[in-house]
Amino acid sequence: MSAIVGFKLDHLQSMLLFAVLISIAFGFLSRRRPIERVKYIVWSLFLFLLIGVGIGWAMYPFSR
Amino acid sequence: MADDTAAVTTAPPQDSKREAIAFFIGVAGWLVPGLGHAFLKMWGRAVMCFVTVGLLVILGAGMRGNVFSSSGNDAFDTLGFLADLGTGTFYLAARSLESNGADVSHAGGDYGTRFLATAGVLNLLAALHAYEAARGRKA
Repeated sequence: MSAIVGFKLDHLQSMLLFAVLISIAFGFLSRRRPIERVKYIVWSLFLFLLIGVGIGWAMYPFSR
Repeated sequence: MADDTAAVTTAPPQDSKREAIAFFIGVAGWLVPGLGHAFLKMWGRAVMCFVTVGLLVILGAGMRGNVFSSSGNDAFDTLGFLADLGTGTFYLAARSLESNGADVSHAGGDYGTRFLATAGVLNLLAALHAYEAARGRKA
């Protein structure tokens, strides 16, 4: 187990991983039928990424 | 009239039993992610909770995020501890995984801290969902 400690991901990879995991969790918790779950997961993932990248761009002018 | 009042103020024994079972399911879901849903035979949700919370904890600790302890210095540390504690027994796993301590000097460590806190809050949400489902609310 100690081998997994200390790995590094960049910002985009971390955000993608986070968005995928949370979208799946929200989809399973809030919808019952499989097709509704898939739709919810895809829509939630899209919004996570859109808003994440949007906020990243909005902060860009203040980053330096 | 007195009988009517008693009927209103005293909950039927069946309801209080159901409430106690729902509370037990909620606590079980908090202690072991997915266990509450497993008791309700919601297998998909049970597996999803266990895997998602487990992955977030492993990734968060692997990225050397901050696993907060009870001896925090300020309100943010206390809030972080409460969020981390939401993972139930997985909190102990996170602490044992991160034997070298946190390293938030790089972005990965910061993300790891968020992963751990999110795992806790997500597990609390799932436990609340299992509690409500056990009470008979639509889930």
